[in-house]
Parts: sequence; structure tokens; C-alpha cells
Amino acid sequence: MSSVILRNVNKSYGNLPIVKNLNLEVKDGEFVVLVGPSGCGKSTTLRMVAGLEDITQGEIQIGKRAINDLPPHKRNIAMVFQNYALYPHMSVRENIVFGLKKSGADAETIKQKLADVSEMLKLDDYLDRKPADLSGGQRQRVAMGRALARDADVYLFDEPLSNLDAKLRHHMRTEIARIQHQYNMTAIYVTHDQIEAMTLGDRVVVMRDGIVEQVGTPMEIYLQPTNTFVATFIGSPAMNLIEAEIEGEDLVFDNYRLPAAKIANVDLQDLKSHDTVLVGIRPDFFEDSALSLKRSPSDNLFEFNDIQVELVENLGFDKEIMFKLGGEDAKARLDLRSHVKRQENISMSVDLNRVLLFDTSPQGMLLNAGEV
Amino acid sequence: MSSVLIKNESRLGLKLVAPAVGIIGLLVIYPILFNIYLSFFDVQLNGTKTFVGMENYTDLLGNPRYFHSIGVSVIYLIGTVVGTTVLGLAAAILMNQEFRFRNLARGLILLPYFAPVISVVFGWQFIFDPVNGIYNHVVVDVLHLTDTRENLIGNPDSALFVVILFDIWKHFPIAYLLFLAKLQSVPKDLYEAAAIDGQNAWGRFWHVTLPELRFVIATVVLLRIIWNLNRFEDVYLLAPNVETLPIFTYYQAFAGIVDQGVAAAISVIQLLVLVGLIWLYVRKVLKW
Ligand SMILES: Nc1ncnc2c1ncn2[C@@H]1O[C@H](COP(=O)(O)OP(=O)(O)OP(=O)(O)O)[C@@H](O)[C@H]1O
Ligand SMILES: [Mg+2]
Repeated sequence: MSSVILRNVNKSYGNLPIVKNLNLEVKDGEFVVLVGPSGCGKSTTLRMVAGLEDITQGEIQIGKRAINDLPPHKRNIAMVFQNYALYPHMSVRENIVFGLKKSGADAETIKQKLADVSEMLKLDDYLDRKPADLSGGQRQRVAMGRALARDADVYLFDEPLSNLDAKLRHHMRTEIARIQHQYNMTAIYVTHDQIEAMTLGDRVVVMRDGIVEQVGTPMEIYLQPTNTFVATFIGSPAMNLIEAEIEGEDLVFDNYRLPAAKIANVDLQDLKSHDTVLVGIRPDFFEDSALSLKRSPSDNLFEFNDIQVELVENLGFDKEIMFKLGGEDAKARLDLRSHVKRQENISMSVDLNRVLLFDTSPQGMLLNAGEV
Repeated sequence: MSSVLIKNESRLGLKLVAPAVGIIGLLVIYPILFNIYLSFFDVQLNGTKTFVGMENYTDLLGNPRYFHSIGVSVIYLIGTVVGTTVLGLAAAILMNQEFRFRNLARGLILLPYFAPVISVVFGWQFIFDPVNGIYNHVVVDVLHLTDTRENLIGNPDSALFVVILFDIWKHFPIAYLLFLAKLQSVPKDLYEAAAIDGQNAWGRFWHVTLPELRFVIATVVLLRIIWNLNRFEDVYLLAPNVETLPIFTYYQAFAGIVDQGVAAAISVIQLLVLVGLIWLYVRKVLKW
């Protein structure tokens, strides 16, 4: 295992910059997840680490050596491709052990690894088939097996679970987490799936248009997004952002006045330099006041009274409530204990310690940053 | 493809090929049958035929020139098939790389294949002309490799190699074309996966390119064998002293002591070999 360091890495095609000045240090044995909208340069970044794309500018280091000029076959990495890239003329078995054999593993190790991997990925029944005779999900598992069987310095995953059904995806996710801890592998993992990002990553890197917007632990990204892009990209349904006027020490929208002094980490002096701010509240942080949950005096709750429910979506345990806040569509996630109905008026409470404030600049920077 | 589609396709296919099969039947099957028939007769120029049974075959098997021509043909086949396949593959791999003027180069490579045999043959004869040819000029006058000017085409032993070279030069473009078409369809990420799996350029050629090409390689090899087993005009025009099987057959049938019965017998034997090869092609190669 090795660390991976990307220093001021740039990639452009012709004059078109794709990855801009990317800095990232993946520690030895760390699992880093890259997330971001389609086309933001996640695969490109991964491919530069792999050596499949050259680096326009900057330096990439694996362990102690700079690898900019090292061809991929000398980098000792393993990779799961977004579209599998299985060898069509080889059986599943041959596909899995191909890289392992090349690395000079002895017959006993190869046998053991093959057995491990095929059991873990439930490939035992397919070992003698050719990739053409497998379903998409089975192929993806073979691609996964081919990488996991290797004894590589770094493992790269490009959306490796995107073609699996929900159940298998969950199984694979826990398996990956298990192997990662067992072998303490250094991994960079690209995904669109928020749950994968949150559950697998030691740290999560959020990218947009070739720029790293935030690097942090999953909880940091979730609770302390540095700007409105990260705030709305991570978390589903997305965080509600409500524009509020600043009047004295209150944040005002609709008929509500939120006392800024009670919101965590707010610098009142700084706040007064703004006319308006964006109030960020995650749908998960609303609670149905009618449930009269046990409250203690130390609770720092704010009541949103007279909210008219426009729509209720029942998702089993969860239910999503749609309503208007500050003139915009807003969402809350309650659970099945709540009996709200469409067109009803309800009150919901929010813990002010969980409320975030962003400035109204195009970047929408977080104003009340604090510890998680 | 689903089995339903395959069934539909084969039904349509049958209808489409039926007329062609009829015509081919008349044009090919009849001469073949007639040839087999002839091979059991002593045929005179005036057309009188006397039944001789297996005599043409026994004559042939007792004729050292026949076996000599088989030997020449085998060398010719090995040389040309290996030569065109290797050169075609090399050219295809080269032309699959990115470089300036690639499209022009891709087109130029095809020239020998399109050029009319008759004109390029004279060009080649001129190259190897003992007095004025460029070959002797370069080897003797420029490089001083030997002092004696050789008539490479005049000597049947060396002429065989000139003929082989000529065929490789003339026919490698068809191999090249088939290889290039297939190379362009090999998914790029297979090479990437192989590189990640630790394979260098040679390993990627061995483990990705060759397996992807094996169907085309087998096709090229078999087609080249079949074509060159019957190749006549290139050899005869360039160096009539190189007696491959078709040339020997021609001499039997139409030159000197004309013996069409024996010629027919040779053809029948050759046909059997060809049928064997075609069977191999259909059963093994087309099955992959
Ligand atoms: N060869 C190329 N020439 C020009 N632009 C390219 C090339 N390859 C990729 N790009 C561009 O680079 C950008 C980043 O692509 P990349 O594949 O890294 O995105 P991604 O984040 O992996 O997206 P996705 O989540 O959809 O896989 C895209 O806008 C893409 O159009
Ligand atoms: Mg991608």
C-alpha cells in the first residue's frame, strides 16, 4: 500500500481545461471518494493517477516516487473501469487472475485469491464463462474481482457498482468496506451514489467543473458544507436554501424571525455586513411539532408555525413533505410517526444548532463554519 | 442475437442465395464433374478420348516433376502466406497509430494491390534485369556486396524467391486491409486494462491484439492458401521457370506434349486438397 499525492495537477484537452489545479493527498490505507456532477473530471483524475491520461501540469506521487513519466504497467495499480473492459476471449477465471499472474504470484496465492474473490463477489458459478455470456451486473463483479485479486499499491474504482440492483449494490458496498479495512487498502473511488460516498469514504472529495470544492470526512461534508454547491449536491433531498433579510440580529423571511444569536458559530458583527443571507436547513432536520417529542430546556429549537403542506410522499418509514418557505419550494423529511396530510397546516421545529448560513455571492460561502 | 432473429435471418438468407447457388452450380459444378470424368481418359488434341482408368493418376504419381512442383508450391505457399500475413499485420498496426498524413499513407499502401499484374510484372523484371536492373546496380556497384551480376529471375532457384517476394508485395495490402478494419474496432479500454494489469506494449499485443485478431488472421491465412494454391498469372508472367503446381498443370495441358487427361488428374487432386481446406475454413474458422 502507498499514499497518493496530487500536487497542482492540471489537465486540458487542447485549450480546454478539464481538471484545474487539483491538490489532494490520499494517505496510506485511506479510502477517498470522488463525487461530483457528470463531466466534472472525476474519471479524468482517476485516469491520470492510473497513467492512462498524461498530466498537463503538476505532479502525481505514489508512495515516495513521482510517477508522471511512469507508464501505467509500471505503477502497480489496480482499476475497475466504468465500462468493465473485460478481456472477451478469456473466461471469468482467466480475467480475474490475469494481472495477478503477471505480477508473479505463485500458484498457491493465485488459487487462494481466486477462491476468496469469487466467493465474495458470488462468481463461483460463472468462473468458466466468457464475459459475453454474463449480465451487466455480473460483468461488473468480474471487473471488481479482477482489481481486488491484485496486490496493488493503489486501487482505483470508477463507479464500480453503478449497474447493480439495490440489494447487490448494498452487499458489494459492505464487502468493499470489509476488504478495505481488512487489507488496509489505499483507494480512490468515484461514484454518483451519495450513500456509497458517505458509507465508504474515510474522506470525500466534492468536485465541480474540474475544481475541488471541498475535501472532508463524510460528516464534515454533510454538516459543514463550505458552500451552497456542496450543500445542495450532498444529501438527498437537497438542502433547503431560503433567502432571508437581516434585520438587527434576526433573519427574516415570510413571517418568521430566526434569532441569529442562537444559531451555532455565528459572528454577529460579520453578519451585519450583509443585507441578505441564505439560510440552509436540511430536510432531515425538520421535526413534526405535533409529535410532542421529549424536549429539554437546553433545546435550541425554532418553530415554523402554520406551514401549509402541499404534498406528502410516503416512502415507507420516511415521508417527504413539500411546502413553501421564503416563497421557494422546500422539503422536509419526517417519518411514519407523523400523520400530516396534504393541504393541512402543521408546525415543524428545527434545531438552530443545525442551521447553516451562506452569503449570497455566486459561490455562496458558508458563514457559520465550526467544528463537527 | 436471439434465436428467433437467427432463424428469421437464415430463412431470408436462403431465399437470397438461392439464385446464386443455381448459377454457381451450373458454372462450377459442371466443369468440375467434367474434369473428373476427363481424368480417366487419354485425351487427344482432335478430341478423341480413350478410357484408361487410373493410368493418368499412376503416371502422375510416377512423375518426379510432379513431386518437384509440389515441393515448389509448398515453399511458395509458406513464403507468401507467412509473408503477406506478417507484413500485412505490421502495416496495419503501424497505420493504426496516429500520425500526420496517416490517411494518405493508408491509401498508398493499397496501390500494389490495385495495380494491374501485367504492368507491375514488367517493372519487377526490370528491377532484377542482370544488365540494367536497379537490384544489380545497388548490390554490385553501390554496396559492392559481390562482384558478379546475378540473373535472379533466370535461375529457377532464386526466381522462386523473387516470385514469393512479388506476391507478398502485391497481396499484403488485402491482409493489411482486413487487419486494419479489425484493429480499429478493438476497444481502447482493453489495452488500458491490460496496461493496468502490468502488461507492456509487447504484452498488450500478445494478450489483446492477437486474440482479438485471431479470427481475421485465420481467415487471411486460409484465404491466402486457397488463392495461392491456384495462383497462376503472377508466377507465369514474372518467372515461367518457377514450376509451381498450377504452372506444371498448364505445361501438361497446353504446352509440349499435350496431355489433358493428366492435367485433369492433377486438378482433381488439387481440388480434393482445396475442398479439405475449405471444409476446415467453414467448420473451424467460421465457427469461432
Ligand atoms: N478526449 C477528450 N477531449 C476533449 N474533452 C474530453 C475528452 N475526454 C473527456 N473530455 C471532457 O472532460 C470532462 C471530464 O470528463 P470525465 O470523464 O472526467 O467526467 P466524469 O466526472 O467522470 O463524468 P461521469 O460522472 O459522467 O463519468 C468532460 O466534460 C468531457 O467532455
Ligand atoms: Mg466518469
